[in-house]
Amino acid sequence: MAELQYESALKGREASGLSIRLREIAERGMIDLRGFASDRKFMNAAKEILGVDLPKQPRTSNTWGEMRAFWLSTDQWLIICPRSKMAELLTALRKRLQGIHALAVDVSDMRSVLRLEGDGAREVLLKGCSLDLLSDEYSPGTVRRMRFAEIAALLHVVEEDMFDVYVFRSYAEYAWDFICATARPEAELRLFGKQDLAAS
Amino acid sequence: MTSKPYRLGESFGHAIDRSRRVNFSFDGKQMPGYAGDTLASAVMANGQRVFGRSFKYHRPRGVVGLGSEEMNALVGVGEGSRHEPNLRATQVELHDGLVAVSQNRWPSLSFDIGSINNTLSRFFPGGFYYKTFMWPQKFWMSVYEPFIRRAAGLGKAPDGCDPDTYEHIHAHCDVLVVGGGVAGLAAAEAAAASGARVIICDENPQFGGWADIADGTIDGVAQSEWAQAKVQRLSEAENVHVLSRTTCVGHWQHNSLILFERVADHDPALLARGTPRHRLWKVRARQVILATGSIERPIAFANNDRPGIMLAGAARAFLTRYGVAPGSSGLVFTNNDDAYQTALALKQAGIQVRVVDSRSHVDSQLPTTARKAGIEIMAGSAIAAVESSFGGLDVTGVKVAPYRKGSGRVITETRIECDFIAMSGGFNPALHIWCHTGGKIRFDEALQSFRPDTHHDRIAAVGAANGTLALGGALNEAYAVGEAAGKAALPKSKAARPKVPKALQEVQQALESLWFSPATGKYNEGNKHFIDFQNDVTAADLELAQREGYESVEHTKRYTTFGMATDQGKTSNLNGLGVLAEATGKTIPQIGITTFRPPYTPFSFGSVAGPMTRQLFLPIRRTPIYEWHKSQAAQFEPIGQWRRAYTYPKPAEEKQASIAREILAVRNSVGLLDASTLGKIEIKGPDAAALLDRVYSNMFSTLKIGRCRYGLMMNELGFLIDDGVTVRLGEDHFLMHTTSGGADRVSAWLEEWLQTEWTDYKVFVTPVTEQWAQFAIAGPKARDVLRRLDPDFELSNEAFPHLSMKEGHLGRYPVRVFRISFSGELSYEVAVPANLGRGLWDEILTAGQDFGITVYGTEALHVLRAEKGYIVIGDETDGTVTPVDVGLDGLVSKKKSDFIGKRSLEQSFLKRTDRKQLVGLLTEDPSEVLPDGAYAVQEVKDKPPMEMIGQVTSSYFSPTLQRSIAMALIQSGRARMGETLSFPLDGKVVKAKIVDQVFYDKEGAQLNG
Repeated sequence: MAELQYESALKGREASGLSIRLREIAERGMIDLRGFASDRKFMNAAKEILGVDLPKQPRTSNTWGEMRAFWLSTDQWLIICPRSKMAELLTALRKRLQGIHALAVDVSDMRSVLRLEGDGAREVLLKGCSLDLLSDEYSPGTVRRMRFAEIAALLHVVEEDMFDVYVFRSYAEYAWDFICATARPEAELRLFGKQDLAAS
Repeated sequence: MTSKPYRLGESFGHAIDRSRRVNFSFDGKQMPGYAGDTLASAVMANGQRVFGRSFKYHRPRGVVGLGSEEMNALVGVGEGSRHEPNLRATQVELHDGLVAVSQNRWPSLSFDIGSINNTLSRFFPGGFYYKTFMWPQKFWMSVYEPFIRRAAGLGKAPDGCDPDTYEHIHAHCDVLVVGGGVAGLAAAEAAAASGARVIICDENPQFGGWADIADGTIDGVAQSEWAQAKVQRLSEAENVHVLSRTTCVGHWQHNSLILFERVADHDPALLARGTPRHRLWKVRARQVILATGSIERPIAFANNDRPGIMLAGAARAFLTRYGVAPGSSGLVFTNNDDAYQTALALKQAGIQVRVVDSRSHVDSQLPTTARKAGIEIMAGSAIAAVESSFGGLDVTGVKVAPYRKGSGRVITETRIECDFIAMSGGFNPALHIWCHTGGKIRFDEALQSFRPDTHHDRIAAVGAANGTLALGGALNEAYAVGEAAGKAALPKSKAARPKVPKALQEVQQALESLWFSPATGKYNEGNKHFIDFQNDVTAADLELAQREGYESVEHTKRYTTFGMATDQGKTSNLNGLGVLAEATGKTIPQIGITTFRPPYTPFSFGSVAGPMTRQLFLPIRRTPIYEWHKSQAAQFEPIGQWRRAYTYPKPAEEKQASIAREILAVRNSVGLLDASTLGKIEIKGPDAAALLDRVYSNMFSTLKIGRCRYGLMMNELGFLIDDGVTVRLGEDHFLMHTTSGGADRVSAWLEEWLQTEWTDYKVFVTPVTEQWAQFAIAGPKARDVLRRLDPDFELSNEAFPHLSMKEGHLGRYPVRVFRISFSGELSYEVAVPANLGRGLWDEILTAGQDFGITVYGTEALHVLRAEKGYIVIGDETDGTVTPVDVGLDGLVSKKKSDFIGKRSLEQSFLKRTDRKQLVGLLTEDPSEVLPDGAYAVQEVKDKPPMEMIGQVTSSYFSPTLQRSIAMALIQSGRARMGETLSFPLDGKVVKAKIVDQVFYDKEGAQLNG
């Protein structure tokens, strides 16, 4: 039988002609990790394998090299790693977590990641979500589950002007179309800051 | 001598650009105008006063107001799919090529058949519709309603699909200032000084509100000059967002507001370029400051609705802003000082003008200035009658009579010739937004109007919106409130406070309320005192409602439709209350006020829909194989938000033939199904088995590792809510499959029980539906196909029996394979990580080629399972069906101490033997397919009612059996085995025999083969 045919929901698509840069991050390893933050054994085991502390603060993430841990809820984290390392990591994690109440599942293909980059990306996101993205709260590293357009999504502020939107795989086309529709250059706008009244 | 309105010379009209001529059409007539004109000003500059016909009496009507308060001049703008009805001509910005039409007139504006209602108006009193269209009842639908609908229409809906785009945006701010007049700009400046994030919006294209038509100076410059400088500064600030052409349409709980921005209506070039036409802002503000100004009151005098009768402020603005004279000879009718500014402006433009003032003594500064300018002032007088040309199209003169408040009827009259009237009955603070979520208001004697009192939310009103009409007071108030709002947002800010500028303005004399100006002659003989212009409600209608016992103002409102038009009573509300107060001898606060509801002005459906149109109308879920299905011209069906392939017709193949072909392929050889939508939940923890034992009716703790078991899920009432196969992956680790539509619901259900009831259970539940692509390979050749895919596990019946699972590889593809069957055939469900799904799918198709592998859709799937008598949750169940009802009592554990639904199943009515039970049906005519939902009756009669004893739940033509089959829920169904039932349908009765619901392979030989 032939080689593995890998195909992400959007095939690594990159948009053109928008007011911001939009592309799919096609290859990611993701692990859904459940356990109790109050369980020191669990937290230590996770740290040992992942090399990064699981964040305890809501809406935060911790990063160590290629490894990121997103806080999802009081007993749930999303581990982001290179796809090539996922299987190895998951095996190690499961082995190390034996005897500890925990659940680690490979969810690498469950979500699609849409990356928005550029000045004005926050405004584009604000056309689909009700978060106060212009406040200091949404600084790099922030992770937040949200309602985006009409679906559930996860927002990760990667850098000041770089955002990853995680949506369930089946909604990838919908989310892509929504961002393309709202990021048209003709619909571009900036909130606050200097405005040119004469132009409008 | 009377004249039409006309355009004045260059020294008037600061808002228009006379170097940019603009051509537009109104009712098909080409007209010129200037950039900066509104449709209202441009049409008037062309000598036309009439803009439309009134709602009930079809009386000709002209422009009364200046902006969003306009109630008469409603027009349709744009053509075809871009047409938008019911816009206020005073707010429509003129652009080249604009096409506008008047509304509610037939056949033309100057002659309207409906105006016969006016002649017959003694037969159209308040509550006319309630009184007249009562009987005979059968006339309602066929005669009365169509008549009323045609007669009462406003604009027409556009044709075709809207070509423009719309969008939403969310914004948070510390302070939202609604209204960009002097007070709003002052409040915004003060709030922004602290560094707070401020949004200021105004419904007009230009900021400043009434600054350009108000007297007085700020820091030594004209109000408008001050305002333009302020808005420029604000637009340059880092922490301020300035929004023009943006109406705040409503205020909701916790300072959540909606702003409606008309982004591109004013410029067709923007629309052509693809700029969103409207944008809806969903704003959450820590603090709201309302600087919404005030709305001038008309005066209720006889025939006060004739074209050419305007509000005094509006007349002044048409003159100074657009350089349009309302006529050549005017009369200002007022009860306050403000309107004297209109008189002075008219005089300055060389227009003949007199003032009729209802107050007996008028000696403050503005009237004195007017007198000095040579304007005749008739104090202690009121308009008793308006004379007009034939058809009421133009004002030709008035009769003025002496007036003293409370003194009753007119005795002597003076006739004065004039061609327009500018009226002012005082000013009402625009309270709408204040009141949307229940802000309290109080009556102010000096204003003779209501003003804001207290509010439970963090919201404040400043300037005229707060009843503070004088410039100095408004500025002081605005700076104080703005500063406090900024400080509340950023208490530690050390920014310098802005200096409150110095205002200079004439002191005005108090107004005297004038709710009704007595007329000569009798009511309803051409003497209508209009209160609500848009709904044609007169003072007489309100008094009649009182006499008929509609004492509550809310009842009066509904009985007479006063305040219920699209303008929501902006100009009529208080005048109506005044009339009611005088009619009943009560005070206005005793009468009370009707409710203000959003929106402040109507806003477009397009903006409400935003981008959620066309392919974004509804989120559609696609499986990893979606593209392949499309490439095969599959027909799709919605399952929740999923789009699943229903069947795959070959070119020129009928749908039924294609479904039959797919079914027979599964029965005779091998089929392939995309089952990726199936819900999948990983369940792990020491109590995982115990959890499953509680949520399913049957036992799971006894399931061996690597084995699968079908489970039935009930709610607390004992009714079926889901089913599916659960696999034991490890001692404390399970994988649950749910129905496609139930995936989210079931995982939420499990979480709810774990989090609220069984908090001692140590179990984690993680939904993983979308991680996996899942395919069913079903049919006698399924094992052969799988073998060709190079599995690294044994496939023999002994090593891999029915209801077991293998984890391994097919070639290089990592898979979980479940030997489970929903078709009754030898069947494997292969799960592979979603991003490898398409790759493996193609491999399976290649591997199955020699066996004629056939991809089948959801309809074939349903027929296959029905042939086997398998239930579908939602087909055989409707939320009132128990496992016992569908004959699955064997799956209700007798051993387990407890599980959800157990107790309910013990209730006597759920144990009755005459409940509806699932049975199979075979029609007498094997080619006759019963419709889904067809009712079986006890006894066939000529016509209903007939006693119904059950209904068909699934019904198909079975290609396997070459006859129709059906399942049904029938009262005491199992006891009736062998009986023939009657199903009365349209024009015929179908007979069908009750049989066992398993139609195919009762022994399960295929399944276990």
